[in-house]
Amino acid sequence: MKIGPYTFPDDLYYDREHNWARVDGQTVTQGLTDFGQAIAGEIIYVEAPRVGREVKQGEAFMSMESGKWVGRVRATVGGRIVAANDALEFDSTLVNSDPYGAGWLARIDMADPADLGKLMRASDPAFAEFIAAERAKYQK
Amino acid sequence: MDLYLLGSVSWLDSQLIYHALPRLGREGLILLWPGSPYVCIGYHQDAEQEVDLAYCRASGIPVFRREVGGGAVYLDGEQVFYQLVLRRTHPLVQGSKEALYRRLLEPVVLVLRDLGLAASYKPVNDILVGGRKISGNGAGEIADSLVLVGNVILDFNYEMMVRVLRVPDEKFRDKVHKSLQENLTTLRRELGGLPDRAQVQELLVHRFAEVLGPLAPRPLPEEVRLEVERLAEERCSEAWLLRGGRRLAGRRVRIAAGREVVQNVYKAPGGLIRATVEVADGRFVAVDFSGDFFFYPPAALEALAGHLAGTPCCDAEATIAAFYAAHGIESPGVTPADLVKALGLSR
Repeated sequence: MKIGPYTFPDDLYYDREHNWARVDGQTVTQGLTDFGQAIAGEIIYVEAPRVGREVKQGEAFMSMESGKWVGRVRATVGGRIVAANDALEFDSTLVNSDPYGAGWLARIDMADPADLGKLMRASDPAFAEFIAAERAKYQK
Repeated sequence: MDLYLLGSVSWLDSQLIYHALPRLGREGLILLWPGSPYVCIGYHQDAEQEVDLAYCRASGIPVFRREVGGGAVYLDGEQVFYQLVLRRTHPLVQGSKEALYRRLLEPVVLVLRDLGLAASYKPVNDILVGGRKISGNGAGEIADSLVLVGNVILDFNYEMMVRVLRVPDEKFRDKVHKSLQENLTTLRRELGGLPDRAQVQELLVHRFAEVLGPLAPRPLPEEVRLEVERLAEERCSEAWLLRGGRRLAGRRVRIAAGREVVQNVYKAPGGLIRATVEVADGRFVAVDFSGDFFFYPPAALEALAGHLAGTPCCDAEATIAAFYAAHGIESPGVTPADLVKALGLSR
Protein backbone atom coordinates (compact mmCIF):
# COMPACT_ATOMS: atom_id res chain seq x y z
CA MET A 1 0.00 0.00 0.00
CA LYS A 2 1.12 3.53 -0.77
CA ILE A 3 0.38 6.44 1.53
CA GLY A 4 1.59 9.55 -0.24
CA PRO A 5 5.08 8.77 -1.53
CA TYR A 6 5.67 6.10 1.12
CA THR A 7 5.32 2.35 0.66
CA PHE A 8 3.89 0.10 3.39
CA PRO A 9 3.77 -3.56 2.29
CA ASP A 10 0.44 -5.19 3.11
CA ASP A 11 1.96 -8.37 4.55
CA LEU A 12 3.79 -6.57 7.38
CA TYR A 13 2.84 -5.39 10.87
CA TYR A 14 3.62 -1.85 12.04
CA ASP A 15 4.18 -0.10 15.38
CA ARG A 16 3.93 3.57 16.29
CA GLU A 17 7.74 3.97 16.29
CA HIS A 18 7.91 3.55 12.49
CA ASN A 19 9.12 -0.02 12.65
CA TRP A 20 7.80 -2.88 10.52
CA ALA A 21 7.64 -6.54 11.49
CA ARG A 22 7.58 -9.54 9.14
CA VAL A 23 6.33 -12.77 10.70
CA ASP A 24 7.73 -16.13 9.64
CA GLY A 25 6.51 -18.76 12.10
CA GLN A 26 7.93 -17.76 15.48
CA THR A 27 10.57 -15.49 13.95
CA VAL A 28 9.91 -11.79 13.51
CA THR A 29 12.19 -9.71 11.31
CA GLN A 30 11.97 -5.99 11.94
CA GLY A 31 13.19 -2.82 10.30
CA LEU A 32 12.46 0.86 9.82
CA THR A 33 9.59 1.80 7.50
CA ASP A 34 9.98 3.85 4.37
CA PHE A 35 8.49 6.80 6.26
CA GLY A 36 10.73 6.11 9.26
CA GLN A 37 13.89 6.24 7.18
CA ALA A 38 12.67 9.42 5.47
CA ILE A 39 12.26 11.30 8.74
CA ALA A 40 15.51 9.88 10.14
CA GLY A 41 17.57 11.12 7.19
CA GLU A 42 20.81 9.47 6.14
CA ILE A 43 21.69 6.82 8.68
CA ILE A 44 25.44 7.02 9.36
CA TYR A 45 25.70 4.17 11.86
CA VAL A 46 23.66 1.29 13.16
CA GLU A 47 24.70 -0.39 16.39
CA ALA A 48 23.88 -4.07 16.09
CA PRO A 49 22.09 -5.66 19.04
CA ARG A 50 23.62 -8.54 20.96
CA VAL A 51 22.29 -11.85 19.70
CA GLY A 52 20.78 -13.88 22.52
CA ARG A 53 19.48 -10.88 24.45
CA GLU A 54 15.91 -11.03 25.72
CA VAL A 55 13.76 -7.99 24.94
CA LYS A 56 10.26 -6.88 25.84
CA GLN A 57 7.85 -5.43 23.31
CA GLY A 58 8.53 -1.68 23.03
CA GLU A 59 11.91 -1.94 24.74
CA ALA A 60 14.81 0.02 23.20
CA PHE A 61 17.41 -2.55 22.22
CA MET A 62 19.60 -1.00 19.54
CA SER A 63 20.55 2.44 18.27
CA MET A 64 21.26 4.31 15.09
CA GLU A 65 22.71 7.73 14.36
CA SER A 66 21.92 10.46 11.87
CA GLY A 67 22.58 14.19 12.08
CA LYS A 68 24.48 13.98 15.38
CA TRP A 69 21.33 12.39 16.78
CA VAL A 70 21.33 9.00 18.47
CA GLY A 71 17.93 7.35 18.09
CA ARG A 72 16.83 4.13 19.79
CA VAL A 73 15.11 1.25 18.07
CA ARG A 74 12.34 -0.46 20.03
CA ALA A 75 11.37 -4.10 19.75
CA THR A 76 8.18 -4.72 17.78
CA VAL A 77 7.63 -7.92 19.76
CA GLY A 78 9.08 -9.45 22.90
CA GLY A 79 11.43 -12.40 22.73
CA ARG A 80 15.04 -13.35 22.14
CA ILE A 81 17.19 -11.66 19.51
CA VAL A 82 18.40 -14.36 17.13
CA ALA A 83 20.08 -12.30 14.41
CA ALA A 84 21.35 -8.82 13.60
CA ASN A 85 21.99 -7.48 10.13
CA ASP A 86 25.79 -7.44 9.98
CA ALA A 87 25.75 -5.84 6.51
CA LEU A 88 24.73 -2.56 8.14
CA GLU A 89 28.12 -2.30 9.79
CA PHE A 90 29.60 -1.75 6.34
CA ASP A 91 26.75 0.19 4.77
CA SER A 92 24.24 1.68 7.17
CA THR A 93 22.51 3.54 4.32
CA LEU A 94 20.87 0.24 3.31
CA VAL A 95 18.27 1.27 5.91
CA ASN A 96 17.54 4.26 3.67
CA SER A 97 17.86 2.65 0.27
CA ASP A 98 16.15 -0.71 0.94
CA PRO A 99 14.22 -0.42 4.21
CA TYR A 100 12.07 -3.54 3.68
CA GLY A 101 14.85 -5.67 2.22
CA ALA A 102 18.62 -5.46 2.73
CA GLY A 103 18.15 -2.75 5.35
CA TRP A 104 16.41 -5.01 7.92
CA LEU A 105 17.62 -4.49 11.49
CA ALA A 106 17.10 -7.58 13.64
CA ARG A 107 15.33 -10.91 14.01
CA ILE A 108 13.50 -11.86 17.18
CA ASP A 109 12.30 -15.27 18.29
CA MET A 110 8.85 -14.15 19.43
CA ALA A 111 7.89 -15.14 22.97
CA ASP A 112 4.16 -14.45 22.71
CA PRO A 113 2.25 -14.13 19.40
CA ALA A 114 -0.29 -12.00 21.28
CA ASP A 115 2.21 -9.13 20.87
CA LEU A 116 1.19 -8.98 17.21
CA GLY A 117 -2.27 -7.93 18.30
CA LYS A 118 -0.83 -4.64 19.55
CA LEU A 119 0.61 -3.84 16.12
CA MET A 120 -1.17 -2.38 13.10
CA ARG A 121 -1.65 -3.55 9.52
CA ALA A 122 -1.27 -1.23 6.52
CA SER A 123 -4.96 -1.80 5.70
CA ASP A 124 -6.16 -0.69 9.17
CA PRO A 125 -7.95 2.67 9.06
CA ALA A 126 -6.13 3.49 12.30
CA PHE A 127 -2.81 3.05 10.52
CA ALA A 128 -3.75 5.47 7.74
CA GLU A 129 -4.83 7.98 10.38
CA PHE A 130 -1.59 7.51 12.28
CA ILE A 131 0.57 8.05 9.20
CA ALA A 132 -1.48 11.08 8.16
CA ALA A 133 -0.93 12.62 11.60
CA GLU A 134 2.79 11.80 11.47
CA ARG A 135 3.16 13.30 8.01
CA ALA A 136 1.54 16.49 9.28
CA LYS A 137 3.80 16.51 12.36
CA TYR A 138 6.96 16.01 10.33
CA GLN A 139 5.71 17.99 7.33
CA LYS A 140 6.60 15.05 5.08
CA MET B 1 10.50 22.94 34.74
CA ASP B 2 13.40 22.16 37.05
CA LEU B 3 16.49 24.30 36.58
CA TYR B 4 19.87 23.13 37.85
CA LEU B 5 22.37 26.00 38.01
CA LEU B 6 25.42 24.02 38.99
CA GLY B 7 28.30 26.32 38.00
CA SER B 8 31.68 24.59 38.03
CA VAL B 9 31.41 20.83 38.59
CA SER B 10 33.80 17.91 38.21
CA TRP B 11 34.41 16.86 34.61
CA LEU B 12 32.54 13.60 35.27
CA ASP B 13 29.49 15.31 36.74
CA SER B 14 29.41 17.59 33.69
CA GLN B 15 28.45 14.45 31.71
CA LEU B 16 26.74 12.10 34.13
CA ILE B 17 24.02 14.36 35.52
CA TYR B 18 22.24 14.60 32.18
CA HIS B 19 22.60 10.85 31.76
CA ALA B 20 21.03 10.29 35.20
CA LEU B 21 17.98 12.56 34.92
CA PRO B 22 16.19 10.68 32.11
CA ARG B 23 16.83 7.34 33.83
CA LEU B 24 14.85 8.70 36.77
CA GLY B 25 12.07 10.04 34.54
CA ARG B 26 12.99 13.63 35.41
CA GLU B 27 12.95 16.59 33.05
CA GLY B 28 15.11 19.65 33.50
CA LEU B 29 17.53 22.23 32.19
CA ILE B 30 21.09 21.98 33.49
CA LEU B 31 23.63 24.79 33.15
CA LEU B 32 27.22 24.09 34.19
CA TRP B 33 30.84 23.97 33.13
CA PRO B 34 33.55 21.41 33.89
CA GLY B 35 36.20 22.16 36.48
CA SER B 36 38.92 20.47 34.45
CA PRO B 37 39.44 19.55 30.79
CA TYR B 38 38.55 16.23 29.19
CA VAL B 39 37.80 14.65 25.85
CA CYS B 40 34.28 13.51 25.04
CA ILE B 41 33.45 11.17 22.16
CA GLY B 42 30.13 10.44 20.47
CA TYR B 43 28.12 7.37 21.40
CA HIS B 44 28.91 5.52 18.18
CA GLN B 45 32.54 6.53 17.77
CA ASP B 46 35.52 4.22 18.00
CA ALA B 47 37.68 5.69 20.77
CA GLU B 48 40.91 4.15 19.56
CA GLN B 49 40.41 5.42 16.03
CA GLU B 50 39.36 8.94 17.02
CA VAL B 51 41.48 9.85 20.03
CA ASP B 52 45.18 9.65 20.87
CA LEU B 53 44.45 7.66 24.01
CA ALA B 54 48.13 7.23 24.91
CA TYR B 55 48.66 11.00 24.86
CA CYS B 56 45.52 11.61 26.92
CA ARG B 57 46.56 9.02 29.51
CA ALA B 58 50.09 10.44 29.74
CA SER B 59 48.69 13.96 30.08
CA GLY B 60 46.03 13.05 32.63
CA ILE B 61 43.18 14.02 30.31
CA PRO B 62 40.12 11.78 30.86
CA VAL B 63 38.23 10.44 27.85
CA PHE B 64 34.47 9.85 28.13
CA ARG B 65 31.89 8.23 25.84
CA ARG B 66 28.53 10.06 25.94
CA GLU B 67 25.15 8.60 24.91
CA VAL B 68 24.67 11.44 22.45
CA GLY B 69 25.69 11.69 18.81
CA GLY B 70 28.43 13.65 17.12
CA GLY B 71 32.20 13.62 17.22
CA ALA B 72 35.14 13.86 19.57
CA VAL B 73 35.49 17.22 21.33
CA TYR B 74 37.91 18.77 23.80
CA LEU B 75 35.89 20.29 26.62
CA ASP B 76 36.95 22.61 29.43
CA GLY B 77 35.73 25.35 31.73
CA GLU B 78 35.85 27.97 29.00
CA GLN B 79 32.61 26.55 27.62
CA VAL B 80 29.22 26.99 29.30
CA PHE B 81 27.18 23.80 28.84
CA TYR B 82 23.40 23.65 28.51
CA GLN B 83 21.81 20.23 28.84
CA LEU B 84 18.11 19.85 28.30
CA VAL B 85 16.19 16.70 29.22
CA LEU B 86 12.60 16.42 27.94
CA ARG B 87 10.35 13.38 27.94
CA ARG B 88 9.53 12.05 24.48
CA THR B 89 5.91 13.04 25.04
CA HIS B 90 6.78 16.69 25.77
CA PRO B 91 5.01 19.03 23.31
CA LEU B 92 8.35 20.57 22.31
CA VAL B 93 9.72 17.17 21.26
CA GLN B 94 7.62 16.90 18.13
CA GLY B 95 8.41 17.07 14.44
CA SER B 96 11.56 16.64 12.41
CA LYS B 97 15.06 16.70 13.83
CA GLU B 98 15.75 19.99 12.12
CA ALA B 99 12.57 21.57 13.46
CA LEU B 100 13.42 20.33 16.92
CA TYR B 101 17.00 21.56 16.85
CA ARG B 102 15.85 24.90 15.45
CA ARG B 103 13.22 25.26 18.19
CA LEU B 104 15.47 24.26 21.07
CA LEU B 105 18.55 26.16 19.88
CA GLU B 106 16.67 29.41 19.34
CA PRO B 107 17.36 30.50 22.96
CA VAL B 108 21.10 30.08 22.38
CA VAL B 109 20.97 32.12 19.17
CA LEU B 110 19.14 34.86 21.07
CA VAL B 111 21.69 34.82 23.92
CA LEU B 112 24.46 35.42 21.41
CA ARG B 113 22.45 38.25 19.88
CA ASP B 114 21.93 39.67 23.38
CA LEU B 115 25.70 39.77 23.60
CA GLY B 116 25.80 41.83 20.41
CA LEU B 117 26.66 39.10 17.92
CA ALA B 118 24.87 38.41 14.63
CA ALA B 119 24.26 34.74 15.42
CA SER B 120 22.21 32.39 13.29
CA TYR B 121 21.14 28.75 13.31
CA LYS B 122 22.62 26.50 10.64
CA PRO B 123 20.97 23.15 10.04
CA VAL B 124 21.21 20.66 11.32
CA ASN B 125 22.62 21.68 14.68
CA ASP B 126 25.26 24.40 14.57
CA ILE B 127 25.08 28.03 15.59
CA LEU B 128 27.23 30.41 13.58
CA VAL B 129 28.58 33.92 14.00
CA GLY B 130 30.12 35.44 10.89
CA GLY B 131 30.00 32.06 9.18
CA ARG B 132 31.94 30.38 11.99
CA LYS B 133 30.63 27.86 14.49
CA ILE B 134 30.39 29.21 18.05
CA SER B 135 28.28 26.48 19.64
CA GLY B 136 28.35 22.71 19.18
CA ASN B 137 25.28 20.55 19.76
CA GLY B 138 24.15 16.95 19.76
CA ALA B 139 21.12 14.95 20.81
CA GLY B 140 20.13 11.47 21.78
CA GLU B 141 17.32 9.44 23.23
CA ILE B 142 18.11 8.24 26.75
CA ALA B 143 15.47 6.08 28.43
CA ASP B 144 12.14 7.73 27.53
CA SER B 145 13.61 11.19 27.06
CA LEU B 146 15.26 13.34 24.48
CA VAL B 147 18.50 14.91 25.63
CA LEU B 148 19.95 17.95 23.88
CA VAL B 149 23.45 18.99 24.91
CA GLY B 150 25.47 21.92 23.68
CA ASN B 151 27.84 24.66 24.66
CA VAL B 152 28.48 28.35 24.31
CA ILE B 153 32.18 28.61 23.52
CA LEU B 154 33.72 31.44 25.52
CA ASP B 155 37.27 30.53 24.60
CA PHE B 156 38.77 27.49 22.90
CA ASN B 157 42.06 25.67 23.12
CA TYR B 158 42.58 24.89 19.43
CA GLU B 159 46.01 23.37 20.05
CA MET B 160 44.72 20.86 22.60
CA MET B 161 41.73 19.97 20.44
CA VAL B 162 43.96 18.88 17.58
CA ARG B 163 46.55 17.37 19.92
CA VAL B 164 44.12 14.92 21.52
CA LEU B 165 42.84 13.63 18.19
CA ARG B 166 44.41 10.61 16.60
CA VAL B 167 45.68 11.68 13.18
CA PRO B 168 47.62 9.88 10.46
CA ASP B 169 50.41 12.48 10.29
CA GLU B 170 51.37 15.98 11.37
CA LYS B 171 50.38 17.45 8.02
CA PHE B 172 46.83 16.26 8.59
CA ARG B 173 46.92 17.66 12.14
CA ASP B 174 48.02 21.05 10.77
CA LYS B 175 45.19 20.98 8.29
CA VAL B 176 42.60 20.25 10.98
CA HIS B 177 44.12 22.98 13.17
CA LYS B 178 43.98 25.54 10.38
CA SER B 179 40.42 24.59 9.47
CA LEU B 180 39.30 24.78 13.10
CA GLN B 181 40.84 28.23 13.50
CA GLU B 182 39.13 29.42 10.35
CA ASN B 183 35.75 27.85 11.04
CA LEU B 184 35.26 27.79 14.79
CA THR B 185 35.11 31.03 16.73
CA THR B 186 34.65 32.02 20.36
CA LEU B 187 33.07 34.79 22.36
CA ARG B 188 36.57 36.02 23.21
CA ARG B 189 37.44 36.35 19.52
CA GLU B 190 34.15 38.00 18.61
CA LEU B 191 33.86 40.34 21.59
CA GLY B 192 37.54 41.11 22.05
CA GLY B 193 37.47 39.84 25.63
CA LEU B 194 36.16 37.06 27.81
CA PRO B 195 32.55 37.60 28.95
CA ASP B 196 31.47 36.79 32.48
CA ARG B 197 30.23 33.18 32.69
CA ALA B 198 27.55 34.25 35.18
CA GLN B 199 26.20 36.73 32.64
CA VAL B 200 26.07 34.06 29.92
CA GLN B 201 24.30 31.74 32.34
CA GLU B 202 21.78 34.40 33.30
CA LEU B 203 20.99 35.10 29.65
CA LEU B 204 20.58 31.38 28.94
CA VAL B 205 18.08 31.05 31.80
CA HIS B 206 16.12 34.02 30.53
CA ARG B 207 16.00 32.87 26.90
CA PHE B 208 15.33 29.18 27.64
CA ALA B 209 12.44 30.21 29.92
CA GLU B 210 10.83 31.89 26.91
CA VAL B 211 10.66 28.49 25.19
CA LEU B 212 10.35 26.08 28.12
CA GLY B 213 8.10 28.14 30.39
CA PRO B 214 8.88 29.05 34.01
CA LEU B 215 12.13 27.56 35.30
CA ALA B 216 12.40 26.70 38.98
CA PRO B 217 15.98 26.64 40.32
CA ARG B 218 16.60 23.74 42.67
CA PRO B 219 19.52 21.83 44.13
CA LEU B 220 20.41 18.46 42.66
CA PRO B 221 18.15 15.85 44.32
CA GLU B 222 19.77 13.09 46.31
CA GLU B 223 18.37 10.39 44.01
CA VAL B 224 20.10 12.05 41.03
CA ARG B 225 23.36 12.13 42.98
CA LEU B 226 23.00 8.41 43.74
CA GLU B 227 22.25 7.61 40.09
CA VAL B 228 25.33 9.61 39.04
CA GLU B 229 27.43 7.52 41.43
CA ARG B 230 25.95 4.31 40.05
CA LEU B 231 26.60 5.38 36.47
CA ALA B 232 30.14 6.55 37.24
CA GLU B 233 31.32 3.03 37.94
CA GLU B 234 30.13 1.72 34.57
CA ARG B 235 30.89 4.77 32.44
CA CYS B 236 34.45 5.18 33.68
CA SER B 237 35.34 1.62 32.74
CA GLU B 238 37.66 0.71 29.88
CA ALA B 239 34.98 -1.65 28.60
CA TRP B 240 32.55 1.24 28.08
CA LEU B 241 35.14 3.55 26.55
CA LEU B 242 36.57 0.95 24.20
CA ARG B 243 33.32 -0.71 23.13
CA GLY B 244 33.12 -1.05 19.36
CA GLY B 245 32.05 1.85 17.28
CA ARG B 246 31.96 3.24 13.78
CA ARG B 247 35.22 2.49 11.99
CA LEU B 248 35.69 4.64 8.95
CA ALA B 249 38.00 4.17 6.02
CA GLY B 250 40.75 6.80 6.16
CA ARG B 251 40.61 9.55 8.74
CA ARG B 252 37.81 12.05 8.96
CA VAL B 253 37.47 15.02 11.33
CA ARG B 254 34.28 17.01 11.36
CA ILE B 255 34.93 20.73 11.90
CA ALA B 256 31.38 22.10 11.71
CA ALA B 257 28.08 21.33 10.00
CA GLY B 258 28.84 20.36 6.41
CA ARG B 259 32.61 20.87 6.81
CA GLU B 260 35.18 18.14 7.34
CA VAL B 261 38.82 17.30 6.74
CA VAL B 262 39.46 13.83 5.34
CA GLN B 263 42.57 11.84 4.63
CA ASN B 264 42.20 8.69 2.62
CA VAL B 265 44.47 6.16 0.97
CA TYR B 266 43.47 4.16 -2.10
CA LYS B 267 45.40 1.43 -3.87
CA ALA B 268 44.85 1.87 -7.60
CA PRO B 269 46.35 -0.54 -10.18
CA GLY B 270 48.96 2.13 -10.93
CA GLY B 271 50.00 2.68 -7.32
CA LEU B 272 49.04 4.07 -3.96
CA ILE B 273 47.19 7.40 -3.89
CA ARG B 274 46.91 9.46 -0.72
CA ALA B 275 44.45 12.35 -0.69
CA THR B 276 43.90 14.98 1.97
CA VAL B 277 40.80 17.00 1.34
CA GLU B 278 38.72 19.65 3.04
CA VAL B 279 35.06 19.72 2.07
CA ALA B 280 32.44 22.34 2.92
CA ASP B 281 28.77 22.16 1.97
CA GLY B 282 29.40 19.67 -0.83
CA ARG B 283 32.33 21.52 -2.43
CA PHE B 284 36.06 21.05 -2.22
CA VAL B 285 37.81 23.73 -0.22
CA ALA B 286 41.32 22.33 -0.62
CA VAL B 287 42.75 19.12 -2.07
CA ASP B 288 46.18 17.57 -1.87
CA PHE B 289 47.28 14.42 -3.71
CA SER B 290 50.44 12.49 -2.97
CA GLY B 291 51.54 8.87 -3.10
CA ASP B 292 53.39 6.44 -5.27
CA PHE B 293 52.03 6.62 -8.80
CA PHE B 294 53.10 8.04 -12.16
CA PHE B 295 51.50 11.32 -13.19
CA TYR B 296 52.72 13.28 -16.23
CA PRO B 297 53.45 16.13 -16.39
CA PRO B 298 54.33 15.98 -12.66
CA ALA B 299 53.53 19.63 -11.96
CA ALA B 300 50.00 19.04 -13.20
CA LEU B 301 49.11 16.99 -10.10
CA GLU B 302 49.32 20.08 -7.92
CA ALA B 303 47.48 22.04 -10.61
CA LEU B 304 44.72 19.43 -10.60
CA ALA B 305 44.40 19.72 -6.83
CA GLY B 306 44.12 23.49 -7.16
CA HIS B 307 41.63 23.12 -10.00
CA LEU B 308 39.31 21.02 -7.80
CA ALA B 309 39.08 23.71 -5.11
CA GLY B 310 35.65 25.30 -5.20
CA THR B 311 34.10 22.65 -7.45
CA PRO B 312 31.16 20.42 -6.39
CA CYS B 313 32.20 17.07 -4.91
CA CYS B 314 29.45 15.29 -6.80
CA ASP B 315 31.05 16.37 -10.10
CA ALA B 316 34.56 15.30 -9.10
CA GLU B 317 35.00 12.57 -11.67
CA ALA B 318 33.80 14.76 -14.55
CA THR B 319 35.94 17.67 -13.34
CA ILE B 320 39.04 15.47 -13.17
CA ALA B 321 38.31 13.84 -16.54
CA ALA B 322 37.97 17.27 -18.15
CA PHE B 323 41.27 18.31 -16.58
CA TYR B 324 42.92 15.17 -17.97
CA ALA B 325 41.63 15.98 -21.46
CA ALA B 326 42.58 19.65 -21.33
CA HIS B 327 46.13 19.01 -20.09
CA GLY B 328 46.92 15.74 -21.86
CA ILE B 329 47.49 13.94 -18.58
CA GLU B 330 49.05 10.48 -18.56
CA SER B 331 48.75 8.41 -15.39
CA PRO B 332 49.06 4.69 -16.16
CA GLY B 333 46.89 2.58 -13.90
CA VAL B 334 45.31 5.63 -12.27
CA THR B 335 42.05 6.84 -13.78
CA PRO B 336 39.95 9.84 -12.80
CA ALA B 337 37.66 7.33 -11.07
CA ASP B 338 40.61 6.09 -8.99
CA LEU B 339 41.41 9.65 -7.91
CA VAL B 340 37.77 10.09 -6.89
CA LYS B 341 37.97 6.90 -4.81
CA ALA B 342 41.12 8.26 -3.17
CA LEU B 343 39.19 11.39 -2.20
CA GLY B 344 37.09 9.18 0.08
CA LEU B 345 33.78 10.80 -0.78
CA SER B 346 31.68 7.70 -0.38
CA ARG B 347 29.90 9.15 2.67
